[in-house]
Amino acid sequence: MLKQIRQVIKEQVEYRQLIYQLAVFELRGQHQNNFLGSFWQFLSPAIQIGIYWFVFGIGLRGGADINGTPFFLWLVLGIIPWFFIAPSITQASSSVYQKVSLVSKMNFPVSVLPTIRIISNSQQFFIMLGILFVITLLYGVKPSLYLIQIIYYICCMFIFLIAFGLITSTLATLARDFQVFLQSIIRMLFYLTPILWDTSLLVNSFGEKGQLIENILKLNPFYYIVEGFRDAFLGRAWFFDDMIYTLYFWIITFTILYFGSKLHIRFRNNFMDYL
Amino acid sequence: MTIKVKLKNISKVYDLYEKKSDKFLSLFRVRNKEHRQFMALNNVSFEVSQGETVGLIGLNGSGKSTLSNILGGVLQPSDGSIEVNGKSSLIAISAGLNNNLSGLDNIELKCIMHGLSKEEIEKVRDDIIEFADIGDYIYQPVKDYSSGMKSRLGFAISVHTDPDILIIDEALSVGDSTFTQKCLKKMREFQDKGKTIFFVSHSAEQMRTFCEKIVWLHYGKVKEIGESNEVVKHYQEFTKWFNNLSNEEKKEYKSKQLSEQNVVGFRRNENKQEMDKYEWLKNSLVLIPLAIMGLLMVLN
Repeated sequence: MLKQIRQVIKEQVEYRQLIYQLAVFELRGQHQNNFLGSFWQFLSPAIQIGIYWFVFGIGLRGGADINGTPFFLWLVLGIIPWFFIAPSITQASSSVYQKVSLVSKMNFPVSVLPTIRIISNSQQFFIMLGILFVITLLYGVKPSLYLIQIIYYICCMFIFLIAFGLITSTLATLARDFQVFLQSIIRMLFYLTPILWDTSLLVNSFGEKGQLIENILKLNPFYYIVEGFRDAFLGRAWFFDDMIYTLYFWIITFTILYFGSKLHIRFRNNFMDYL
Repeated sequence: MTIKVKLKNISKVYDLYEKKSDKFLSLFRVRNKEHRQFMALNNVSFEVSQGETVGLIGLNGSGKSTLSNILGGVLQPSDGSIEVNGKSSLIAISAGLNNNLSGLDNIELKCIMHGLSKEEIEKVRDDIIEFADIGDYIYQPVKDYSSGMKSRLGFAISVHTDPDILIIDEALSVGDSTFTQKCLKKMREFQDKGKTIFFVSHSAEQMRTFCEKIVWLHYGKVKEIGESNEVVKHYQEFTKWFNNLSNEEKKEYKSKQLSEQNVVGFRRNENKQEMDKYEWLKNSLVLIPLAIMGLLMVLN
């Protein structure tokens, strides 16, 4: 039953060296045509954070904080993982149909293509994570033992993205429309994940019904990851405090991986026919 | 001598869909109606032993590239079985170089993709640069290359990744004669090492001097297999005969041949996987925990 999953995981582990080397090459090709080069990796997120802070923090909230956390800090804690998640999803889903013609002439494990994109994006993410750490220090948040959880949540994020990349890259190769569909889903999820606004507002304003809506929003796995980052940095809770949610997250990750690897292995020899 | 490549009743069918939606539906095996299909290869069988050089000859659209893609493992046949013993490397004009990277980086990238280790890359890099012979352009991004330079670099890299079976799909026709000479020399080297080579070209002269055996493909079918001089002679006789036909006759001949390639309802057996009965059960077994946890989450 788990033959396909095992094969896909085996390929990821076996070719980790290859994944790393090719991820480095991906980075080298990017931003080559811009004068400011890799500086844009940080400039464009900074501009976006600035505008969201101004519109949502100052404009809509009038500078009020969220449960004692300054809005700017709260926003940055959610948006920095998102700046990694969103492009990784879209790029991972396009990776197979963009690259398969290059690699199909050799014995190359196609299942690592989405992973390569995710790993090459992670360089920027880890630098931003460092900046994030400095920002929390500047806001006077003392690092607590809870911060260790960051390792756990980063693992969650990578495993989920790799599993998700496997299924989306296969679907996008079979039908290119899926890519467009996925992009609009991502745009939607940006607003349905607590990045710009706190979902506990729903409970405050609508009571019982609001709680139900919040629970439905929690089904989104990115909710788990983004709130997890906040829990870790702000020292709010441990990931095992809400066992049901943690279990739910891993079950949905497993389900996606299960169907993703099944679909991938079934079609991988015929990807060239769908280009 | 050991058999290197064995093709048995290979066919390749392309579906011709009238609408995009038909193609999409076929993914889910929803057969709403039989669509038209095109037989790019029809029942091709032959064997190639180690050290043989085989030429593929034929008119445009006769299936040479499809066959070389199947030999290179790029495409899967719709029917029949293929056995390839060894690592094959396909060299086509579009060498698959990354335009944004420099030639040097491309060498490294392609070698990594071929599974060479760092030390091995170190060893072959200078050979590749020397073989490509494009001077200081090797430090420039590939997008600034001329088409000749690209094919030089592509050929140089592929040749140095040490394949057992080399498939050359008209890659030599882009370079100038000095480069072609160099490539032919390199191919002689491969022949001396006892490697198997497939060679697609329109040059009858190269074919005759180079190949021992020639497969003449004619509208997807094998018209003749045999000793190179003989097949080339017959092929040239055919082209001569064809060229002497009047325009109408040519058209008629072509449409007759093409209509034979159009078929309906070809049963392909590619990715035919035994859909076992319990497949649905398994899938739902995976979905049930998700549903339970989701419900728990919603109801808190």
